[in-house]
Amino acid sequence: MTEHDAAGSVPALRAERLGRRYGKVWGLRDCTLEVPAGAVAALVGPNGAGKTTLLEMIIGLLKPTEGQVSVFGETSHAGAAGTLARVGYVAQDHPLYRDFTVADMFHLGQAMNPGWDRKLAAARIDALGIPLKRKVRQLSGGQQAQVSLTMALAKRAPLLVLDEPVSSLDPVARLEFMRDVMASAAEAGTDLTFLISSHVVSELERICDWLIILANGHVQLAGPADGLLAAHRLLTVPRDTPDAELPGTAIHRTDSDSPSHQHSTVLVRTGADQPAARSRPGWQVGTASFEQLVLGYLQHQSTGATQENPAPAAQRPGPSTKEFTR
Amino acid sequence: MIWVTWRQHRSQAISCLAVLAALAVYAIIEGTSMRSAFSSDGLAGSCLARTQGTGCESGIGAFMGKFGSEVNIAFWSVTLIVPGLIGVLVGGSLIARELEYGTWRLAWSQTVPRGRWLAVKLALVTGGLVVLGAAMTAVITWYRAPMDRLTGRLQHNVFDFEGLVLTAYILCAFGFAVLAGLLIRRSIPAMVAAFIPWLTIRLVIEFVFRDHFLAPLTTAMSPSCHTAGCGNGISSVPQSTGRIGDLVLGFKPGNLVAYQPSDRFWPFQFIEAGIFVVLTAAALGATILLLRRRAAWSA
Repeated sequence: MTEHDAAGSVPALRAERLGRRYGKVWGLRDCTLEVPAGAVAALVGPNGAGKTTLLEMIIGLLKPTEGQVSVFGETSHAGAAGTLARVGYVAQDHPLYRDFTVADMFHLGQAMNPGWDRKLAAARIDALGIPLKRKVRQLSGGQQAQVSLTMALAKRAPLLVLDEPVSSLDPVARLEFMRDVMASAAEAGTDLTFLISSHVVSELERICDWLIILANGHVQLAGPADGLLAAHRLLTVPRDTPDAELPGTAIHRTDSDSPSHQHSTVLVRTGADQPAARSRPGWQVGTASFEQLVLGYLQHQSTGATQENPAPAAQRPGPSTKEFTR
Repeated sequence: MIWVTWRQHRSQAISCLAVLAALAVYAIIEGTSMRSAFSSDGLAGSCLARTQGTGCESGIGAFMGKFGSEVNIAFWSVTLIVPGLIGVLVGGSLIARELEYGTWRLAWSQTVPRGRWLAVKLALVTGGLVVLGAAMTAVITWYRAPMDRLTGRLQHNVFDFEGLVLTAYILCAFGFAVLAGLLIRRSIPAMVAAFIPWLTIRLVIEFVFRDHFLAPLTTAMSPSCHTAGCGNGISSVPQSTGRIGDLVLGFKPGNLVAYQPSDRFWPFQFIEAGIFVVLTAAALGATILLLRRRAAWSA
C-alpha cells in the first residue's frame, strides 16, 4: 500500500509549506508532506507538537496562515462544504452530544451529510452490540469512540482523520478500537486513507504503513514506514566513537553510564548511498523498531541546537520518553 | 439541519411552553375574576366611554383597590426580568455549549458548513422566540384588557408587555447571549455577561428615553380636574388631560400639562421594538461574521 510514487496517482493528502500561527507562536510551520491514497498514516509527536493544528487544517476547521493543503488534489478551504465532504473526522476525546441517543447521533449524521451510509452505520453498531436507544452519556468511553468512528465511516469520505483516538481509552478498549480501524482499512483497501495522530506509538506500529513525525511545529521525518525503517540502523559503539566515523547521520545518541561497559547506542540514518551500515569490530548493528525510530527523532529534535520554537517543558533535554505512553 | 436544531433545543422549547402555560393559567384565573369585578363595579357600561371616568370614581376606586397593586407589582417583575432570562437561557448555550464540550469539532466537521449551521439554527430559534413572545403578549393583553381601559397602554408597566416590545426584549437578550457565548465560550458566564447589558439598556431606554421618543404635547388642564382633582398616576382617573390613556409627564406653570397622547402607543411600540431589534441584528450579525472569520478555537 505504499505505491505513493506510482505515476500519475493523486495523493490522498498533500501539504505544501503549510503553517499556522497563533498570535506570535507558530503552532505548525513549513509543513510539507504527502500521503498516498490507501495508506494508513501515523502522525506521531509529543503533546503540543502541532498534530491537532495540522489535522484541523486538513479537515477544514482551521484556516492556514501560510501554505496550503489539498485532499485528493482539491485544496482544503476552512468551512467549505466541498472540503468537509472529503474528510471524515474523529476528534480528540470523540465528542458526541451526551443527551442524544445513538440513534439520534446517526440521525444527525444523516441530516448533515448527503453521502451518509445508513446501512453501514446500522450494521457496524449492530456488530458492536451497542443499543441504538441508549444515550451517549450511558456508553463507555470505548463505545463512544466506536460511535464516533462509525459516524466518520458512514460519512463515506475518502480520507479519515483520527485525532488521538485511543488516548482516553483503557488498554482493552484501545486494542479493540485499533483492531476495528485495521479491519475497516483492510476492507476498504485503497478506497480509504487513514491519518491517525497519536502519542501512543506502540498502538500505531501494527497498523500503520506510513509515518509522519512531528515535533515543535515541524515535520521531522515522513515517508513509508518500511522504507524509513530500512534506512535507519541502531548501532552500539564504544563511547568514544565520534559521530563522524559513524556510517551515516547520527540522529540520536544515548551514552551508557555503566562504568564497566562504556558504550553508546546511536540511531543512524544510513541514507540512499549507504544502503547497509558498515560495521566495525566491536560494533553491534541492528535494525531500529518503529518505536526506537520515533523516539530517536523526537529526542533528536529536543536536544538539537536549532529550535525556532521554545520547547514545552516536558520536551526539554532529558528523558522525553515519558511523553509516550507505552 | 431543521431536525438537528429541534433535537438540540427540544428541552428548551418544552420549558418555554411550560412557562407560557403557567402564565396562561394565572391569566385565565385572575383575568376572569377581574372581568366580573369590572362589570359588578359598574365600569363596563357607558360611564367610562362617555365621560372619561368622571362620575365613576367610586367604581374605579373599588376595582383598583382589588386589582391595581396586584397587576402592577406581580407583573412588574415578570415583565422586567423574564424576557431577559428566556433570551439568555436560550442564547447562552447555542454556541458556547459546543465550545465547552468540544462538540464544535463534531458539529462543524460534518458536510454542512458552519455558516449554514449557524444560519439555520439562528433562524429557527429566533422564529420560536418570536412565536413565544407573541403568545405571551397575547395572553397578557387579554388578561389586562379591563385594566387597560382605566390606565391606557402608555403607562410604564403596561407598555412593557403589550404590543411588540416584549418579543423584541426576548430577541435582544437572545442575540446578546449568542454573541457572548461565542466570545466567552462558556454558557453560564455568557448568560450573565449578556443579561447585565441587556437589563441596563432596557431600563435606560424605559426611564430616560421612552417619554421623549416624540415631543410631548401640552394642553390646559381638564376643567373636571378643578372639581374632582387629577394627578398623573394610574389611579387618578380622569386624567389631567381629560382623556383616559394619556400619559401625563408633568405640570407646567399656567395650568398646563405635558403629556404623550394615548394614540401614540403604536408609534412608541415601533420605536422601542425597533431599537431592540436593531441591537439583536447587530449582535447576531457580529456572531455570524466572527464565526466565519475566526477559523477555529484552541479549545
